[in-house]
Amino acid sequence: MKIILRLAGVAVAGGLAFWLWTVWFPSPEKQVLRQVARLAATANFSPGDGNLTRAGKAGNLVSEFANEAEIVYEIPGVGGRTLDGRDEIREAALGAFASLSALKVEFTDATARIGPDQQSGEVTCTARVSTGDSKDFGIQELRFQLKKSGGDWLITRAETVKTLQ
Amino acid sequence: MQDTTRSAGATRWLKIILIGRRPKATFWRILALISVTVVTFKFALLPIRVDGISMEPTYHNRQVNCVNRLAYLRCEPQRGDVVAIRFARPERFSAPSQMLMKRIIGLPGERVGFHAGHVYINGELLVEPYLKYSCDWEHEPIQCGPDQYYVVGDNRSMPFEYHMQGRAGRDHIIGKVLL
Repeated sequence: MKIILRLAGVAVAGGLAFWLWTVWFPSPEKQVLRQVARLAATANFSPGDGNLTRAGKAGNLVSEFANEAEIVYEIPGVGGRTLDGRDEIREAALGAFASLSALKVEFTDATARIGPDQQSGEVTCTARVSTGDSKDFGIQELRFQLKKSGGDWLITRAETVKTLQ
Repeated sequence: MQDTTRSAGATRWLKIILIGRRPKATFWRILALISVTVVTFKFALLPIRVDGISMEPTYHNRQVNCVNRLAYLRCEPQRGDVVAIRFARPERFSAPSQMLMKRIIGLPGERVGFHAGHVYINGELLVEPYLKYSCDWEHEPIQCGPDQYYVVGDNRSMPFEYHMQGRAGRDHIIGKVLL
């Protein structure tokens, strides 16, 4: 009985140590997933947020992207557009944050793949976006490409994926 | 003395009601029930809640249903089947949290077009008794690939370009909507 208890104690301690290790030293996959999750969290704002908060959020949103980042998106019924570089992304973000009363973005079913060089990664996920007080929402499959720059992961490309062709 | 006996009897009955006469057997039963439930609702029947109006009037907004993930293990999807289609591929062994619910109207290799709100498969009119709302969709025929199914919702009262429809790869079809 004593041996079993000791073994159980060792297993629990081992599990705890492993969990702490993954928390302190996350795998590259976890790091890129966190980066994309942070992007979703930054993009959210509520009607109560003032202009200053919104501008700050737009700035934070842009900082998640690399300088040469590109966003390629297509909205059904509207058409496609490409944003090149941080300046265009900032402009578009500020415009969206100013014109919408609220924005809620959720990324689900996210999966990450890291390149063999460990310096590039790709995340695919499903975005659920709702604006204002409307109960309507849009769902879109997204693909992000990221690169490691100075220890941080930055988004180099974000694009919408056509689930139905 | 009588009160103590009554109290002990009540406690005993409460124990029997909660964990049964044989606690060990109850434990194994609960464990088996949990295992069967988890396996069933994670790998076989996926519980879903309809969010949106694209399948009206067949399926209503906020209606609860299940997706049979085993439906297409032995046979391929058929025309008229209402299926769940995934977006991004989730992690291994996990079910997608967001799915599209659509009806299959075109099978692999077929040409699907819309004229005056009617569906034409390889130039022939498709009879769709499940449609209740009229529509005026016009679209040139689209060729489905060898592994693609043409899917569309039952509610076609909105403009063509605002309705999410098109060709879905076989690997995107998760299963058949049960009810």
